[in-house]
Amino acid sequence: MNSVIRLSNVSKRYKKFLAVENISLEIGKGEIYGFIGLNGSGKTTTIKMLLGMVHPSQGDCYIGNQKVGLANHDIWRKVGSLVETPYAYPELTVKENLDVFRRLRGVLDSSSVHQVMDQLKLTAYADRKAGKLSLGNAQRLGIAKALLHKPEILILDEPSNGLDPTGIIEIRELFQHLASDMGVTIFMSSHLLSEVAKISTRIGVIHQGQLIKEVKADQFKSLLSKRLVVDARNREKALGAMNRAGYSSVFNRKGEIETTAEYAVQHPDDISRYLVSEGVPPTHLALEEEELEAYFLRVISKREG
Amino acid sequence: MGFFTAVGVEGLKIRKSKMIWITLAVFTAAPLMAGFFIFVLKNPEFAKSSGLIGDKAQLFGLADWPTYLSMLAQIIAVGGILVFGFVTSWVFGREYADRTIKDLLTLPLHRLSIVMAKFLAVFITNFLLGAYVVIIGVIIGFFIKLPAWSMEAVLDGGFVLLVTTILTSTLSTPPAFVACYSRGYLAPIGFILFMVVLAQVIAAAGYGAFFPWAVPALFSGIAGTGAVLGLSSFFAVFFTGLIGLAATLYWWLYADQH
Repeated sequence: MNSVIRLSNVSKRYKKFLAVENISLEIGKGEIYGFIGLNGSGKTTTIKMLLGMVHPSQGDCYIGNQKVGLANHDIWRKVGSLVETPYAYPELTVKENLDVFRRLRGVLDSSSVHQVMDQLKLTAYADRKAGKLSLGNAQRLGIAKALLHKPEILILDEPSNGLDPTGIIEIRELFQHLASDMGVTIFMSSHLLSEVAKISTRIGVIHQGQLIKEVKADQFKSLLSKRLVVDARNREKALGAMNRAGYSSVFNRKGEIETTAEYAVQHPDDISRYLVSEGVPPTHLALEEEELEAYFLRVISKREG
Repeated sequence: MGFFTAVGVEGLKIRKSKMIWITLAVFTAAPLMAGFFIFVLKNPEFAKSSGLIGDKAQLFGLADWPTYLSMLAQIIAVGGILVFGFVTSWVFGREYADRTIKDLLTLPLHRLSIVMAKFLAVFITNFLLGAYVVIIGVIIGFFIKLPAWSMEAVLDGGFVLLVTTILTSTLSTPPAFVACYSRGYLAPIGFILFMVVLAQVIAAAGYGAFFPWAVPALFSGIAGTGAVLGLSSFFAVFFTGLIGLAATLYWWLYADQH
């Protein structure tokens, strides 16, 4: 892979605490890499190392072919970033905040400020002081700063923070457009796992500082476990019939019958016919797929043994 | 190019902040008070009728331009340590308090340029504030019709004011490091207040010439004409300034920024 972002055996130790342990990963051009993990799992520390804010105790981070470090500050010309909560100079207006970073980033075209305000729907707030913005608009301003210089790479920590559902969809579509149409590479962490699943081309799971799983989006569906949910007027009898036939079943929290037996999941019509023949015709029969949250917890609990 | 843009941006942040209005208010009140004391001194009949103020005003001696300019220098020496330190604390500490440091660290600019741009913006602001005190002071001096105006007195007073401003401004680098280390602006303000108090104690014990934070006030003539400062006093101030600068640079270049 021609990697745009590369972490090579990166670790970070704070005295006795190992925050990140030996992480290696490569992200190619135009990929959207979703980085998920519990609070304190090492997501933000990894992002901060990638952005040169925290020095790795071991290993190196690369943007393109250049190592992240003091000498290579030019690499930040092609990187836009947002780390944790949104931040801006509260005494400056939205427009002034963006113009300050346009100048500092050496972007000569002053119309880029208006373009990015339009893109992030901030034009109506152009003359409002950043300190007076709602959390959602402050987040939009943070994303606008990251996009201002038309970066080739976006490194975002919790970019959906504070956004309302409409905002989340808008930002998702924007990122998808940037990645697929403009070839922008996106490395993002989020606690909104369903959001990560919708947007990412690859997902990495970090737990206790270790990258424990990497999954491509096209493989992802096959990894999510499926279950057949059945309901009947006589639930006890239906459960007995299912178990007698070898489809190991249990009652779920709603009192419905649930099975993950492979044959049942693949042939729900046969299960329906079987239950009818047993005198407990199903009143409800549905194939349900595991949510990313459940998959994520399953991967972590497997790791913890 | 990037460095001067960074200086300009720091200037814009200072201009737009509430901090600059607070410092201007302090530096407006100070020469007004000095002018009032000189006015009291110049009008003994007013001094007699005003009791305590009159007694205090007698401490300053003659009510003329040299005395008044010396008072302005003392204001910059003592007030400057607080006010210039406050400016520095804000310029560096606010990036941590507002979390905007994260944007600055990923700029295509060497961090050395960012830190030096901040210091240059601080020094320019300090000099402008010093000049503001002098201009307000001179206007008040003419308004209360002080005697003994001469070019020689103005040049002497101006020299003391300039050196005092440089000395005081030099001492504003350690608070920058404290602001970065503590990731905010409360600790450096505490540090400045502590140094001002310590300077009083050390100066009272007779060792002020060796304590950097006491030197600007002694140079401005706060202890009368008796205090003679050697080269070592000036060296102590500049060495302290250099340590503050180096520590701040080290922090920006090599410390983990959370």
